[in-house]
Amino acid sequence: MFIGDVVNSGAIPSLELTLRFAGERHRLIAHNIANWTTPNFQPVDVSPAGFQRALSGAIERRREQPGGGSGELSLHGSRELSRLPGGRLVLTPRTPSAGILGHDRNNTEPERLVQDLAENYGVYRVASDLLRSRLQQLRDAIAERV
Amino acid sequence: MYGSLDISVSGMIAQRVRHETAAANIAGKDAYLDSSGVNPYRARRALFAVGDPSAKTVAGRQLGVHVAEIQIDQNAVRWKYDPSNPHAEKSGPRMGHILVPDINDVVEKTNSMEAQRAYEANIVAAEATKSMMAQALRLLA
Repeated sequence: MFIGDVVNSGAIPSLELTLRFAGERHRLIAHNIANWTTPNFQPVDVSPAGFQRALSGAIERRREQPGGGSGELSLHGSRELSRLPGGRLVLTPRTPSAGILGHDRNNTEPERLVQDLAENYGVYRVASDLLRSRLQQLRDAIAERV
Repeated sequence: MYGSLDISVSGMIAQRVRHETAAANIAGKDAYLDSSGVNPYRARRALFAVGDPSAKTVAGRQLGVHVAEIQIDQNAVRWKYDPSNPHAEKSGPRMGHILVPDINDVVEKTNSMEAQRAYEANIVAAEATKSMMAQALRLLA
């Protein structure tokens, strides 16, 4: 119980969710890149802004509870996002109708794909660095180095 | 995350096959006899489809890309007047003509270049996956 409270305190749950989201979204981006030249392919994606809104709502709900700085985040599912009991995020991607439709009926834009890849990787990296520093703080506290 | 590597590798394999077909078409553009020694070489086209049946993970099988078929373009031939060729038509309205592959160098080179660029894009995605894996592993260190 105590360990659970420590691990679920502060920003750790939100950083964990961000890592899960970026990891799952990375699969979709890799899929779009792999099908860059596939005829009739329409790229799929989920909205990072939608995830941020859901995360923000979950943080607000936790804050309103007694002892709001800690506890698990209850992410409300949406059309694109759902969470399995084990904590795994499941993304249901949509097909954005952006881009010019080519002769092969593929409207993938390579520049957008690389932009999405770089942005998503940046989000993953920042979240993992922040999470690492939080875990290091916990380690220091446990080792009485604070 | 392992599913992401499967996806990128499927893209690399598909683009390599596409590049190979373009290379085969350029190599065979003057081959008026195929391996059976009867017909001219006919252009190959790699046809892609979504999903990768050979992937190790379920996620990899649903996503990614694979070569559904290598189509042989039966119409990619033309008649060329070459009366000195021993395989030229001996009689009829096509006398002195020989059936040769109708392969456009520019189209094949464009296909080859596009395959190379797409292959490189898949490598970039795979590199990002590897970096993300390394980042995740650093959490344990």
